[in-house]
Amino acid sequence: MVLIQVQHVDKSYPGRHGTMMIMQDISFDVADSDFLAIVGPSGCGKSTLLRLVQGLDRTTAGEIRFRDRPVQGVIPGMAMVFQNFALYPWLTVQQNVAFGLEALGWDRARTAASVERYISVTGLVGFEEAYPRELSGGMRQRVGLARALAVEPAVLLMDEPFSALDPLTAEGLREEVLQLWRDPQLPPDAVLLVTHNIEEAILLADRVLVLSHRPAHVLADVRVELPRPRDRKSEAFYELTDRVYSLITEGPSAPNGPAAKGTALPSAPSTGAPEHESL
Amino acid sequence: MPTTYPKCSPSEMTGLLVLLDSHKGDEDVARLADDLDLEIDEILPSLDFAEALDFVQVNDGRSTLTDTGRRFLAGTIRERKAVVRDQLRRTTLFRTLMRALESAPGHRLTDSELLRLVEFTTAPSDEVVQNIVNWGRYAELFRYDADDHLVVAIRRTAPPRAPPTSSSRPAGPGSGPSTASDGTDRSPPRATSAALAVC
Repeated sequence: MVLIQVQHVDKSYPGRHGTMMIMQDISFDVADSDFLAIVGPSGCGKSTLLRLVQGLDRTTAGEIRFRDRPVQGVIPGMAMVFQNFALYPWLTVQQNVAFGLEALGWDRARTAASVERYISVTGLVGFEEAYPRELSGGMRQRVGLARALAVEPAVLLMDEPFSALDPLTAEGLREEVLQLWRDPQLPPDAVLLVTHNIEEAILLADRVLVLSHRPAHVLADVRVELPRPRDRKSEAFYELTDRVYSLITEGPSAPNGPAAKGTALPSAPSTGAPEHESL
Repeated sequence: MPTTYPKCSPSEMTGLLVLLDSHKGDEDVARLADDLDLEIDEILPSLDFAEALDFVQVNDGRSTLTDTGRRFLAGTIRERKAVVRDQLRRTTLFRTLMRALESAPGHRLTDSELLRLVEFTTAPSDEVVQNIVNWGRYAELFRYDADDHLVVAIRRTAPPRAPPTSSSRPAGPGSGPSTASDGTDRSPPRATSAALAVC
């Protein structure tokens, strides 16, 4: 079932020297079982795209739909996890996790039950009364995760969630996010992950949306069908990273690009995408 | 005999095990470090800690997941904590700590009392204390009051302690039932690496 439809979205900002076009004619769908990574050159607008999807910002043209309704303002069906955790330092873990629920107007009993559940599910039992300063980076991001999951979103949006963590912690947390996504009894249904780390995208996602540099458009929608856990040094993995990297640096007509290679990797079904390549 | 405390967090150790798992549970330590563009030094504390908890075996620069390690990885996030709790209880350090907590007045220990139980030479003591506290909290072995710097026993609703049985002790780590009726671990101390051994 399609949860999110991004349809011919433009985003521009008025600038001193005229309009600055951040992205142009972006179209893709997100189904309820997708783990979609969005990659692209630095500054291409990946984070902006995520904010548009959540309704934190408005499109200049085109439309974004969630459950077939236009996104106009922040929707409770989606929740975000941030690179720098964005926890309130004066609130305990428990209070941080509860914060979003109170804003949604949930009653005390419902809030308490959800907070307890997602503190447990993310491995934070024992830290309920702790303040963020007492926690390691990994634990802080788990609080961010628990807070997002506590609203029971259909879609989890992640903006470079592992970039501020040391490599070992990031490795562990990635796997935990995968575990949570795969559990049918737990939110979310779909994950949208923005990352500058191509390897990470291929480690985690089933689909990698590759954006061009500004004004960003969709270069490709690459399906990743390797079995998990994925070995980043395997040949198939390397081929995929190489392909995505080439796309980003050289565009779709690059010598190493998908047009030149014979190996068939079916592209993801995406309605209305301007560049529909079979990879 | 002072020894080096392998300073790593539960998150880092988990990451190392996940990484090893992506190599089907058996890989050169150097290759693992290389995967993450790290130096071997940077993954050694996590490796040492994982070894002390019997999650991996390291021989000749090669690391292998043990059955306990596989059990850890097969679990959910919640289940993994329980496995860590069981394994931490078998280390000399945490056995000592839990026993001290049990017999302390009010079942609580200050940071400095904790520090007196352990002595390591190569890391600043407050960092080591915070690390130990972090593991204990993660494994739900005790609580911590950060304002008063107190390690606090978790209140148990279990029945009063039964007298120790005279039945034979288990032959080795992990063999046979090792928990007495009051929940304390009666298995013999693990003869593992010096890490987590109290001097």
